[in-house]
Amino acid sequence: MSERMYPGIGPDERTSFAAYSAFDIPEDLRELHGRYDVVAVAKRVRNFRYAEEWIMMMMGGWIATVPEVPVKTGLGKVIWEGALAADEFGKRLPELRCGRRAMASGEPSNQGFADFIQSLAEPETPDLTIEKLTGIFDVFLPHLVEVYELHMRETDQISDAPTIEILDVIVARKKRHITWGQEVLDRLCETEALRERRRNRADTLASELKESGGVTGSLEIERDNLN
Amino acid sequence: MKRFIEHEELARDSRFIRGNNAQATVIASLPDDVDAIVNAIDPMSAVIEEGVRGTAAEPLYDAYGPGFIFTILNEPLDPEAPAALTRLLFRMHGIFVGELQALEGAARSLWDFPDAPWEFKMNMARQCWDEARHVQIFEKLLVHLGGDVGTFPENTFLFECACSEDPAMRVAGVNRGLEGLACDVFRDMIRYAQKTGDEVMEQAIDYVLADEITHVRFGSEWVKEFTKNDPGYLERTQDFRREVDKQFNFGGARSNRSDAAIQIAVEDRLEAGFSQSEIDELASLSDGGPSRETLIAAGQVLRERHEARKAEKGKEASS
Repeated sequence: MSERMYPGIGPDERTSFAAYSAFDIPEDLRELHGRYDVVAVAKRVRNFRYAEEWIMMMMGGWIATVPEVPVKTGLGKVIWEGALAADEFGKRLPELRCGRRAMASGEPSNQGFADFIQSLAEPETPDLTIEKLTGIFDVFLPHLVEVYELHMRETDQISDAPTIEILDVIVARKKRHITWGQEVLDRLCETEALRERRRNRADTLASELKESGGVTGSLEIERDNLN
Repeated sequence: MKRFIEHEELARDSRFIRGNNAQATVIASLPDDVDAIVNAIDPMSAVIEEGVRGTAAEPLYDAYGPGFIFTILNEPLDPEAPAALTRLLFRMHGIFVGELQALEGAARSLWDFPDAPWEFKMNMARQCWDEARHVQIFEKLLVHLGGDVGTFPENTFLFECACSEDPAMRVAGVNRGLEGLACDVFRDMIRYAQKTGDEVMEQAIDYVLADEITHVRFGSEWVKEFTKNDPGYLERTQDFRREVDKQFNFGGARSNRSDAAIQIAVEDRLEAGFSQSEIDELASLSDGGPSRETLIAAGQVLRERHEARKAEKGKEASS
């Protein structure tokens, strides 16, 4: 049997070139191997999707019971970008061997986190805009940004690049949402009593979130490992 | 947070004045008969007066009595007509609060139907952002025309009518009934802006109209999806949308009649997924309302009675 030859790779045809010179880009120094394997990333993405879907739904419930018009309109955009985030995470799941049916399925990391989400969604009446916004913009979104950035740093930079790309866009949007939400809260909390309400709500939720282990259920362990 | 809220629970800041939804229900069911209209509206004078007190509509009530509402709703917008700016602002304010309630309706669909398909939630989330921009657009247009938020009363009739606890009926009412109405109203507003050379208003509302067509399309698709394999459910959903359409014909103000204040935007509705037979049905529904001549005659009687009451009060005060 004769050796199968392809154009350009025969001994007489072979050319030599320096790596990457054709595109004049620096050598890729990223190393393989990250903190999470495929199964772990799939679980985390399901957890992320659960969080994003619930944020979107609870803010949807609040728009009608928040009296301030600029808050209503501002939340409209945050809702849409939350939906886009959940959708992107959902689309990533079949790529992580979860099957196509997994696209619309998020799951909480544990019951403690599911309970935290219900606490976040609890404020209902029109006099509770501070409590509603504090939970999202002072506590939960900063937590998500921390976890998403941790994932981007710690995961396999080449193998899990699609997740990194998704998170990169989401984190940029989340940071804009946090800036907007905290500016609104600063304006709403114009007296010391109102600022105290904001602090109390934030402290209560932050401790509940910490107890649950956060969106992935393992935040403290991950922080300790990093330290 | 509970699922499903009543229209009275919609939260507003201190600029807003809440109107009474009852008069909207009465206007929606008026027959083409002068006496019947007068007998339905005159007993509501006190409620209507209460609703406009302290708003920019108060001078109109003082001048025309409770029948002023016919002029506002049923006369086509004409830049040369008396009180043209007040009428334009009244309509613009009505659209602004309508957009606000559409935002609240779409947003509540996310919370009220947690088990709905993901694609439905995506559509509703997108509609939230769109309606939020529409609220901003109409608030700016109000200011552009010299008005402001809260200069007229808001009734929450739109939210009350359309926000069913059934998802198919919700999208039939909100996305097909009310957003369809929005197509008619916005096409009319674009024509008005072209007539007055207001390019800011024309361009902004043209964008909004494009969004509304998308929202009607969401509704058309989800009604089909939610009711597939269940013709009885589809029929009940269509009946609900007909009821919403009937309510929002404003007693014939929106119709295909040549004297209608707002014409049915046939081309836009076809693009949004309404069938020609649905559009024909809408036209026939609205034809049952009072004619322009009937309303003018009723308005005249109501004005005379209003003047008589004012004169009576004046006598009492002087004695």
